[in-house]
Amino acid sequence: MKITINNKTYNIKKELTILEACKLSGIKIPTLCYHPDLIPEGRCGICAVLVNGKFMTSCNNKIKDGMNIVTTSKEILEYRKSIIQLIGCNFEKEEEFRKWLQLENLPDVKELKFKPQKSEKIDNSCHDIVMDFEKCIQCGRCIQKCRNLQTVNAISYSKRANATRVGKALDKKLAYTDCVGCGQCTLVCPTGAIREKENIEDIKKILKDKSKYVVVQTAPSVRVSLGEEFGMPAGTIVTRKMVSALRKIGFKKVFDTDFGADLTIIEEATELVERLKKKKNLPLITSCCPAWVNFAETFYPEFIKNLSSCKSPHQMLGAIIKNYFAKEEKIDPKNIVVVSIMPCTAKKYESCRKEMEVNNNKDVDYVLTIREFAKLIKNFNIDFVNLKEEKFDNPLGESSGAGAIFAASGGVMESAIRTAHFLLTNKELKNIEFVEARGSSGIKSTKVKIGNTVLRLGIIHTLKNARTILEELKVHKNKYDFIEIMACPSGCIGGGGQPKTTTGETIKKRIAAIYKHEKTLKFRQSHNNPQIQKLYKEFLGSPASKISHKLLHTSYSDKSKCSIKHG
Amino acid sequence: MQILTKNNFNSWKIAQNLTPKNIIKKVSDSGLRGRGGANFLTGKKWELSYPAQYLIVNSDESEPGRFKDKFILEKNPELVIEGIAIAMRATNAKTTYIYLREEYKEYKKSLEKIVKKINLNVSVIVGAGSYICGEETAILNSLEGLRPESRKKPPYPSEFGLFGKKTVINNLETIARIPLVFSDSFDKDLLLFSISGDVEKPGVYELKEGIKLFELLSLVGSHDSKAIFFGASGGCIKTDKNISLSYENINKMGGFFETGIIVVDKSKSIPDMCRSIIQFFNEENCGKCVPCREGNFRLLQLFQVILKRRWKKEEFEIIKNLALHIPYGSQCALGESSTLHLQTALKYFKNEFDSLIF
Repeated sequence: MKITINNKTYNIKKELTILEACKLSGIKIPTLCYHPDLIPEGRCGICAVLVNGKFMTSCNNKIKDGMNIVTTSKEILEYRKSIIQLIGCNFEKEEEFRKWLQLENLPDVKELKFKPQKSEKIDNSCHDIVMDFEKCIQCGRCIQKCRNLQTVNAISYSKRANATRVGKALDKKLAYTDCVGCGQCTLVCPTGAIREKENIEDIKKILKDKSKYVVVQTAPSVRVSLGEEFGMPAGTIVTRKMVSALRKIGFKKVFDTDFGADLTIIEEATELVERLKKKKNLPLITSCCPAWVNFAETFYPEFIKNLSSCKSPHQMLGAIIKNYFAKEEKIDPKNIVVVSIMPCTAKKYESCRKEMEVNNNKDVDYVLTIREFAKLIKNFNIDFVNLKEEKFDNPLGESSGAGAIFAASGGVMESAIRTAHFLLTNKELKNIEFVEARGSSGIKSTKVKIGNTVLRLGIIHTLKNARTILEELKVHKNKYDFIEIMACPSGCIGGGGQPKTTTGETIKKRIAAIYKHEKTLKFRQSHNNPQIQKLYKEFLGSPASKISHKLLHTSYSDKSKCSIKHG
Repeated sequence: MQILTKNNFNSWKIAQNLTPKNIIKKVSDSGLRGRGGANFLTGKKWELSYPAQYLIVNSDESEPGRFKDKFILEKNPELVIEGIAIAMRATNAKTTYIYLREEYKEYKKSLEKIVKKINLNVSVIVGAGSYICGEETAILNSLEGLRPESRKKPPYPSEFGLFGKKTVINNLETIARIPLVFSDSFDKDLLLFSISGDVEKPGVYELKEGIKLFELLSLVGSHDSKAIFFGASGGCIKTDKNISLSYENINKMGGFFETGIIVVDKSKSIPDMCRSIIQFFNEENCGKCVPCREGNFRLLQLFQVILKRRWKKEEFEIIKNLALHIPYGSQCALGESSTLHLQTALKYFKNEFDSLIF
């Protein structure tokens, strides 16, 4: 196709939108509601350009042969100024508005001509997500995520015309809707109107409290995406700088959730083997993803019996810290505070669940998203990029490759199969890299032969795909033996608590980094992690023992009829 | 009035013996054009969507000043149902939805009674009172149970319509005129005009497209008019008695030929008329696009100023800018035409605006 952009002719072979074609040709068009992962709807209007002399939004119109596109002219500039005036007054903080103008090369408007409209106050009824309508500019990105990606529909447009708001069914508080807390909406919100409920101030306060012994753990995926918050390219592995930053902030011990992941694998593989033997409650479905657990409790309570009873890795590690580490170090568990750095918003709610307590003591006290963690580092004026490199604390700092790949969709499955193979046959799996479990497809089904048994496996990410597979399971009950479900695209690596730089592209780079990182580790199977072996020998006894059931396992309940689903 | 013809399903009897192709040809040859406003050849529309799955009869008549559908529904609903029967045969549509605006729900029963005579799958759906549902893609959303917002075109409903199937959407008057196509006395130029405002005899008139304005005004009894508004979205023109009312002509004058004509006499202020129209669009837009949603709201704020004081120069500049810019970034016909009234008023009645500036 031959098109003209600003008097220059371009030959473009692919079917692109005007915006994409201009970007390919090195011409920047300002955008606001546009997001590369979402369907362009042309809501904000800022990207309109002149096409054959007529104005047209560039994000949702495709190029056609012979198109004459003009992206800068006096007329366009005047138009953009009008739109900036209309949108600008809805930004709550002027600095954010100015930042957007700068980022998109838009003309600076000296003063805003309109006064902002009043709107509903903050909704902080949930433990994880806050909706702050004063900042909302109704771009609709969050709604697309909630509706198209997750099929949860907790938020949608309400009312019409000028009263149009991103709202919730019947104007209920978020905690009373079907929201599962996945936080995908927070990833795409351009103004921070939907964001995680911040715990930064709590952390700062608790770190000053001399009577508390504050320890921290970091999830598998944090190490490959935290760098993005400091301008490093996606997929940069920053494990040791991260540890160093946490010590500088003042945490007494820095542990690795990867260790907890190894522990989860031992328990979950044992559970799988047992259920296979008894042929009961199959397929076994993973429960490490708290948003998925919320989804099951709300929409598919009939599958709760299929959920693994294992706690998620950070909850397990929290319980071990407070019940094993505390004993070893002779510290009163009541004085230990466990903070988790997670790529997730739903973990905030998970840590507050009554089911996640041992002897009335929470396994994990606070959860910070990666975005909050980056803010905290900036708060402490730490020069992250130039930090020296440090190692995790021991014990509970050593981990295997199996724990590391928990970050990506398919990782739990891959790790569990490595250990289940050993448990069932007493031999190590030959090809430990289970390629069929990897890749970006939303629904993967595959088979694996262990000894004489063939296991039918399903690997699912995003809740839309979970819905598809569960509806299928209602009809074909005996289709799978083991299913991994993650609520976010590509698993935790695309989690709702990741940096806002998250797109399909950055996710790919992070995944590549995780698998690269895994290869460098000494042990690749959870059961070969010497510290895990030591923990079982000295404290837990054996997998699924009485004490491990008390500390490491939990249960879930039907919430489809509860008025407060999570909050 | 041709539209009041008691046809007793005679055209339907003829059409049953014709192939779909031949019916479409007959409608195409007749020169009948869509009466919703877009003035598109009906035969061509049918041809493009053949074989269609759905036929939608759009009677979400919510344009201010337009009430011709109500007239048909009240006086001659048989003609509508007969038109549907013929259209279903011609387009191959298996299901028809008649979409009535909420205020017309009283006609649902009478329509359903007549539907029984043709033994076809026709349902009457009553909308929930949204202006935007008169827009052909928003009507699809409404019927699918989604939020009434316009959809991106292309794809056009003829390709990807209701539930993703090929769909024909015709205005109620268009459908009612289909049976008349089979009569020798059919006149493609006859339109139903809804006349209101400062006139002695408001009501529905069947007149020829291209009628001179003075003829129309004397017919309805208007003596002192200075402007006519084409609904809310079609803009306005200065009363010039020799203007002929046709799509082409009004288009040339910067407006859009809407058959809902509101006559305004010399005692009224044009900026006041504009304020009422802005108020209408501020309440009735779907809320999707920033330019239309926020722009009309800000326009209304600015027009409320003149109730208390005159405009400052810079305020008037913003008004002019918004009148121009709102259509540029809006996705549907409503957004694109929501400031046409202001653009044309500023063109023809500039002095009235000038007198409101400091």
